[in-house]
Amino acid sequence: MKSDAFMLSLSHVHKSFHALKAVEDLTLEIREGEVFGLLGPNGAGKTTTVNLSVGLLTPDRGDVRIGEGGSPLEPACRSLLGVAPQALALYEDLTGRENLAFFARLQGLTGAKLRDRVDRALDFVDLAGRARERVKRYSGGMKRRLNLACALVHDPPLLLLDEPTAGVDPQSRNALFENIRALQARGCTIIYTTHYMEEAQRLCDRVGILDRGRLLALDTVDGLIAAHGGRSVIVVHSGDRERRLESDDPLADLIRIKEEESLDSFRVIRPDLEQVFLNLTGRKLRD
Amino acid sequence: MNTILALAGKDLRLLLRDRIGFFFVFFFPLAYAVFFGTLFSGESGGMSAMNIVVVDEDQTEASRAFLGKLAEAEELSVTRGKRPEAEDQVRRGEKVAYVVVPAGFGAARDRMFQGEGLCLEVGVDPTRKAEAGMLQGVLTQHAFEVLQHLFQDRGAMQDQARKAIQAVRTDAEMDAATRAGLARFFAALDRLMTDLPEEAGAGKEPGKTPGGGWSWQPVRVEIHDVARERRGPKSSFDITLPQAFVWVFIGCAAAFAISLVTERTRGTLLRLRCAPVGLTQILCGKALACFVTILAALVLLYIIFSIAFEVRPDSYPHLALAIVASTLAFVGIMMLISVMGKTEASVGGIGWAFLLIMAMAGGGMLPLMFMPSWMQTVSHFSFVKWTVLAMEGAVWRNFSTAEMMLPCGILLGIGAVSFFLGARVFRITAR
Repeated sequence: MKSDAFMLSLSHVHKSFHALKAVEDLTLEIREGEVFGLLGPNGAGKTTTVNLSVGLLTPDRGDVRIGEGGSPLEPACRSLLGVAPQALALYEDLTGRENLAFFARLQGLTGAKLRDRVDRALDFVDLAGRARERVKRYSGGMKRRLNLACALVHDPPLLLLDEPTAGVDPQSRNALFENIRALQARGCTIIYTTHYMEEAQRLCDRVGILDRGRLLALDTVDGLIAAHGGRSVIVVHSGDRERRLESDDPLADLIRIKEEESLDSFRVIRPDLEQVFLNLTGRKLRD
Repeated sequence: MNTILALAGKDLRLLLRDRIGFFFVFFFPLAYAVFFGTLFSGESGGMSAMNIVVVDEDQTEASRAFLGKLAEAEELSVTRGKRPEAEDQVRRGEKVAYVVVPAGFGAARDRMFQGEGLCLEVGVDPTRKAEAGMLQGVLTQHAFEVLQHLFQDRGAMQDQARKAIQAVRTDAEMDAATRAGLARFFAALDRLMTDLPEEAGAGKEPGKTPGGGWSWQPVRVEIHDVARERRGPKSSFDITLPQAFVWVFIGCAAAFAISLVTERTRGTLLRLRCAPVGLTQILCGKALACFVTILAALVLLYIIFSIAFEVRPDSYPHLALAIVASTLAFVGIMMLISVMGKTEASVGGIGWAFLLIMAMAGGGMLPLMFMPSWMQTVSHFSFVKWTVLAMEGAVWRNFSTAEMMLPCGILLGIGAVSFFLGARVFRITAR
């Protein structure tokens, strides 16, 4: 489903809040149909990047374009976007259906089309059975799912999910991952911000690593690990002895060790995005 | 427009589901106005009688009869005393007022067509204007009854006419033409009293003319007409209805100001701004919801007051004008309040404090006419005062269209400036 056309592009974007440089010279191009992960610790500039992408913030310098060239500052262009903010943005005294219908109406949907889209969104996040209950009676996971449904009720081609799994139980998190995969299969472009590297690793076609407002690296997960993850580590147990060996080819090295000495057990630690971040910044992702 | 309607519809739905907000927007103003309306009307068992002290310096049959009538008046609680004691009692606040019947009161009654008329002296605290006005009315009524009695006594009337003829003849300063005219008038009055049948006007109840006969009671009819033409509330509910309206305005302005902040703190504003919706549309939606809520609450309140307490405005178009101007003013004020703080708690606290001070100073709690004069001057700075004045002008002050323009113009100005300032700050902070 992925293509070479760009759904969102940021070109040399700068954004400061007084003395704080939230985003510095950021250039990004998100391809149609891909799931793009923005990975970084808290305060890295992920939410600022999302807000710049959806027109909530105006860049100090640089340019943001959606699709064929529209600016997200133009209201009409924003109908191409669906945003699920990090904080749950729902009306708690309205029912789930009323929330969806309201946001769909803002997108210009009316009548049968509106009802159809609302029903589909409710089904998609598995909330059809609770649609007539007020949101304040929903669990945290249900609210998070409704938050996603409100973002996609008008069927936008570009979806921005800002830390969508914050405060979500494992069951709801898995349901959310399934939703994202289903959306990707439908051709939706998704920008997914997170500070959980395992989520980025699991879901994203490409990942950009942000820190202190700067894009440190951008590639596929495998590409990032290969470029910045360093070598794998083989941990070998022999009797009471434990040895750790760095390796570029763990399988070949394990065969060689087995031939040379008795081997009780072993494990291979492959580099991950956490290691990539550590190598790029000298800090852990969750510091 | 559909977007604005959708935004307003959402806010109205949220308000209907917020029981506390709904209470302050509708039930509190209703309860307030009904409670105070009933209290002021005396129907709840009891506005207390006004405490006054009377001084009889005339000591005639006429003064005793007059003071006797005052003692019987339900509105008054009367004690007798000497002038210095009476003045002291008023000064110390023990009595609301003193009334002196000066020497010459009886003589004045007996020479109705000559010299000065009946005179009474009243001493009252200058800040108690409402009580002074009420006392003046009661005194006038009973003094008039003294004269009315004279009109109903044919012998006394003839005696008055003959004394007047004598006085006219002996008045050296009167010119000849006036003297001749007055002499003809009083002679005719004397003849009329002589020619009337014996039973005419004697011992009848005022206004009753059995057999279609003529009764000498012209003054009673005049009093009735004058009372109808005067500008004033027809009942205490005429006064409390504008106050109820003020509480609707205050409740709505506070509720919607807080709801705008809630949109910001709960993140829904962010979601609205991610939709193809401009900031102007968001603000217009909120303003429209506030406008519709106020109008609905006012109409409902008016219907209740109209049916239950028979409140009728002097002018429906003026009432509509006052409502629209006040509503627009409070929509603007709502916008201004919404940017006074960053959280619901701060906006709620600041907003209510601001609105309550304005209400206190502007006659939203205590009618302006019960306030001391300096407070009435201060009230010019409160938009609530102009709201109350516009409403009263339409409901019972019988303002002309030109008179309505001042409060309504001020309200529209306040609304426009407040809305502009609030929207400007909102736009800046939203970015």
